[in-house]
Amino acid sequence: MPSVHFDHVSKRFGATTVVEDFNLEVADGELLVLVGGSGSGKTTILRMLAGLEEVTEGMIRIDQRDVTALPPRERDVAMVFQDYGLYPHMTVRENLSLGLRLRKVARKEIDRRVAWAGDMLRLEPLLDRKPKQLSGGQQQRVAMGRAMVREPLVFLFDEPLSNLDAGLRAQMRIEIGGLQRRLKTTTVYVTHDQVEAMTLGDRIVVLADGRIQQVGKPIELYRAPVNRFVAGFIGTPPMNFVDGQLLREDGSTVFAAEGVRVQLPHEIADGTGSSEVVTLGIRPEDLTVDSGDSTDAPADSIPGRVVLVERLGGTSHVHFDAGPHRLLASVSNDRLPEVGDSITVRVRAERVHLFGGDGRKT
Amino acid sequence: MRAEQRSGSLMAAPYAAFLLVFAAYPIAFALVLVFLQWDLVTTPSFAGLDNVRLLANDGRFWRAVANTFVFLSIHLPLQIATALVLALALNRPLVLRSFWRASFFLPVVISGAVVAILWSNLYATDVGLINRLLVRIGLTPVPWLTDPSTAMPAIAAMVTWKNVGFYVIIYLAGLQYIPRSCQEAIEMEGATAWQRFRHLTLPMLLPQTILVVTLSTINGFQLFIEPYVMTGGGPLRRTYSIVLYLYTNAFSYQKMGYAATIGVALALIIGAVVFIQRRVIGKEETL
Ligand SMILES: Nc1ncnc2c1ncn2[C@@H]1O[C@H](COP(=O)(O)OP(=O)(O)O)[C@@H](O)[C@H]1O
Ligand SMILES: [Mg+2]
Repeated sequence: MPSVHFDHVSKRFGATTVVEDFNLEVADGELLVLVGGSGSGKTTILRMLAGLEEVTEGMIRIDQRDVTALPPRERDVAMVFQDYGLYPHMTVRENLSLGLRLRKVARKEIDRRVAWAGDMLRLEPLLDRKPKQLSGGQQQRVAMGRAMVREPLVFLFDEPLSNLDAGLRAQMRIEIGGLQRRLKTTTVYVTHDQVEAMTLGDRIVVLADGRIQQVGKPIELYRAPVNRFVAGFIGTPPMNFVDGQLLREDGSTVFAAEGVRVQLPHEIADGTGSSEVVTLGIRPEDLTVDSGDSTDAPADSIPGRVVLVERLGGTSHVHFDAGPHRLLASVSNDRLPEVGDSITVRVRAERVHLFGGDGRKT
Repeated sequence: MRAEQRSGSLMAAPYAAFLLVFAAYPIAFALVLVFLQWDLVTTPSFAGLDNVRLLANDGRFWRAVANTFVFLSIHLPLQIATALVLALALNRPLVLRSFWRASFFLPVVISGAVVAILWSNLYATDVGLINRLLVRIGLTPVPWLTDPSTAMPAIAAMVTWKNVGFYVIIYLAGLQYIPRSCQEAIEMEGATAWQRFRHLTLPMLLPQTILVVTLSTINGFQLFIEPYVMTGGGPLRRTYSIVLYLYTNAFSYQKMGYAATIGVALALIIGAVVFIQRRVIGKEETL
């Protein structure tokens, strides 16, 4: 079973620690996405798994075999690079077959596998072209084909779509996902794009500053982020955050900040202390906009003034000020307010998130 | 003429003048000389195609052509190989890398005559450093420059040494253009160091190799100062190069017309050889 294990892996460049105590198991056949901002250590982790970067501390196992000290060619992993790394002087066919030729695979078998990859990735008409004569999307498919024909234990992708334009990126994302599900090859996929992570990953690892923030299925990260970083990173448009305090009033708990008061349900308020300083997180789709300022508004509503409306067709983004806080609501297009309107915004209190002073979920 | 064009022409003028005086005029003059007999002193006289006819039947000239080809057949492969190996070595992380690069480049800028004198000493049969080292390790000394079979190879080795720094720089520049992801991709595909060189580095350096072949061919055909200083064209005329023969005709025999004819023939030979080389190795260059 080709699974991948990282055991207490750290990476230092000189005195700077880039990856710290990284522990992870990638299951056989799983597509695991490493997501995080630029400089969070994603590429470094992938390159350590590939053998292109030395591990400072800890152990990496592929298929239960300790590969920590093995050179890349003895690891049986294939990588799709951000700039594809196709051999410019070779045709597509030669690019696809080189790895097999180097390993002295029989001619017939090489032809079979090249034909198989060519068929799967629709590369047949391109087999005799050089990389320079291909579009970005075609080069991307050749790079995937080159990884496929070797039938490696593990696929690695490092931001493979970042050089493509938006439309092609969405299309290739679907292709990569489909291909991986058919091949069932264990895959580690690195991206900074959380949409890519959410749509592709069986599981997602959110990284910040070389440390794992949270590991889980996409929907788990979305519904139950463990800290403020993950909450803000996963989801578009991003979650609203308001810093404030918890107050006990008549046996119930209220989140209070200037201009924002939300009565919290017991499940969320349980286990919190009174007067605790917290951050309230509300997803834009958990806000409902009612027009007009209602003086006798219910306890879970916020008065606001619209500062910007982004019309997106299906749903639109309403930016409004509630006291000193700039918030964003995702609303359907039927009753959009105008800029300058006073509005009443209702909060789905059962969906809010509370984060303590340390950023962790309370 | 617009001001911009005027200033453009003005700035190009010095170069144009230089070209006119030092390239166009000598070429035209040489072409005229082919049809003249002139000893530098008396008035030149018209000689028709005498010089050309003489050249076609001049055994010494063809001997010099053959010698130059022998020189090139040793020098070219040696030059490419040494430049490549050194460039690959200097492309790695290395202590004192700048120092090594500078050391290999130094002979390029030293005068050819000085290098020739230095190497005459190194090659000297009895007291030369090379032979003393050979003796030290138990071998017999080789009469490098006085044995007809070793003189030209010895000169070829020396010219290679002198120029290698220049070609190393060309290859080092080429190595910068091999994408890192390609190198890592081929490494992950299981290539050994030799396979990486054979399937990626060498083909990716083809444009540089073409340049090195062309430049060292042109340079090699002009072989002169080394045999002139070290062997005088001997032993048994084995190191007599085309340019040395040209020089001898011009300044020892005062046959300016004939010397110019040799010069024009040399230019034609260089053009033909470079053209053929490009046809052979350049056709793969479709990067
Ligand atoms: N070879 C290196 N030497 C020194 N620092 C490096 C090196 N490679 C990466 N880093 C540093 O490690 C951190 C993580 O880099 P990287 O793994 O490329 O991040 P990501 O892929 O998430 O953008 C960055 O701060 C980067 O500057
Ligand atoms: Mg990266």
